[in-house]
This record gives sequence, C-alpha cells and structure tokens, in this order.
Amino acid sequence: MATLNIMVGHAQGKVPVTILRAEGDIDAATHKVLQDKASEVIKAGSKHILLDLGGVNYMGSAGFRAIHAISNMLSDEKSSGLTKSAYLKLLKPTDAVARVIKTLGFDVYLDIYQDRDEAVNSF
Amino acid sequence: MSVEQVFDFSVKASLDNLQEIRSYIDRVGARLGVSESALGDLRLAVDEAVTNVILHGYGKLDGIVELHMHGDGDAVVIRIRDRAKTFDPSQVRAPQLDTALNDRPLGGMGIFLIRKMMDEAEFLPLPGGGNEIRLVKRGAIRAGI
Repeated sequence: MATLNIMVGHAQGKVPVTILRAEGDIDAATHKVLQDKASEVIKAGSKHILLDLGGVNYMGSAGFRAIHAISNMLSDEKSSGLTKSAYLKLLKPTDAVARVIKTLGFDVYLDIYQDRDEAVNSF
Repeated sequence: MSVEQVFDFSVKASLDNLQEIRSYIDRVGARLGVSESALGDLRLAVDEAVTNVILHGYGKLDGIVELHMHGDGDAVVIRIRDRAKTFDPSQVRAPQLDTALNDRPLGGMGIFLIRKMMDEAEFLPLPGGGNEIRLVKRGAIRAGI
C-alpha cells in the first residue's frame, strides 16, 4: 500500500500561514490522510494553507478531490466565483503532477509557486 | 522478426494494491522501453481505471483485477479485466472544468483523466459478466529498444 505522510509547519508572512508538506503517493487509498490533516489544522484555526507537493511522487484524481475539498473548507462567500483562492496555494508540484493540475483546470483557481518564501508572502 | 512481449498481472481488487499496480506498469514499461512521459500517463490512466473498478464496480464485494500489457509497434496496449457489474461510462458526468472550484461537485475526474491521457479508451462488457477496459497510448515506446 502507498504511504503518505503530512508534515505541518508554520510561517509568518503578511498573515500566519500553515504549510502542509505531503510526502509519498496521493491515491484513492491515501487521500484521506491529506484531507483529514487539513481538516484538523483548519479546525484548530488555520485560515491560510500552503500545500507543499514537492515530495509527492504520484497524485491521481483522489488527490485533486482532496485539494478541492480543502479549498471548499477554507473558502467563504468572498472567495466564491471565478477568482483564485486567497486561502489555499500550491508549492512545487512535480512536472507530472503539474500537468494534471493543468489538465483538470485547477491552475485557474489555485496559485502555484516554486519558491516557499514567495508563496508565504503572497497570502 | 520481433517477439511480442506480453505481461500479465492479477491482483485482488483493493485500494491497498493501487501502488503495486502502478509498480507493475513501471516495471513492464521499463521492459518495453516506454518513455517517462508516456509512463506517467499510463500510470495515471490505469490507476484511475482500477480505482473505478474497485469503488464503483465491485463496491464492497471481493474481486480480482487482471491486467495485460504489451507493446504494439510504438504503442502500448493495456487491457484491464474485472468480474464486476457492467460499467457504462456514458452515465458518468464530465467534470465542470470551467466552473470555479467552490461551485463544482467533488470528484468525477477519473474517466475524464483516462480519456485525456490515452489515445484510445474503450469500456467493453465481457460475455458472461464483467468488463474490459482497453487503453492505447501511441508513440509511447522509444525507438531502438
């Protein structure tokens, strides 16, 4: 079975940002690990999440379903519509994952960064 | 004369085996000389197809998934067989990609991804029950292998 570990970090930009670093494969067997950890930090008060995908070797549609659910958990009425999320951003997806992000149109609604500090300060 | 290499794999239909199935695609892909880019597409398409079989075909029932992978010229052909209830992909709604995430229903991306990643994707009922998914990726095998 695939393994997925989620590490939680914090950074201070213009606002406090919670960084979730995913390591492993995100498939239908493991996506709940990501979704549950995000739910946990949101319930604990996190309002801005940077999802670091640099350690993700594989991500299928279940991973995108989890990202979608996290975006919904963080959103409010202000963020609905055809604007990019002010609350969830992605960091360093691999080329393969980035390609699927584009195929599914997630890049239209979620900002993607390669540099951690730039990402943190963008919130 | 070239000898066609055919690789078969049979595994219990369980989400816990998805990684093993992706590893099978990687192993056979390496033997066939599949490019890294095509291998990523095949890995994704097969993972999505088998996930559908497990979650929506067998549901809570036990079952087996059989995979058959071979090269055909520069193409890779993969057949995935199950004994689950008949699956009709025309009943699956396409994801609303031009709709904001907050306004989209969750999920529904698997079949869409399979069709995007493959040159051909056929979903066929098997005589006597079950389904066969036939996937073809052209230009996948590097020349000279």
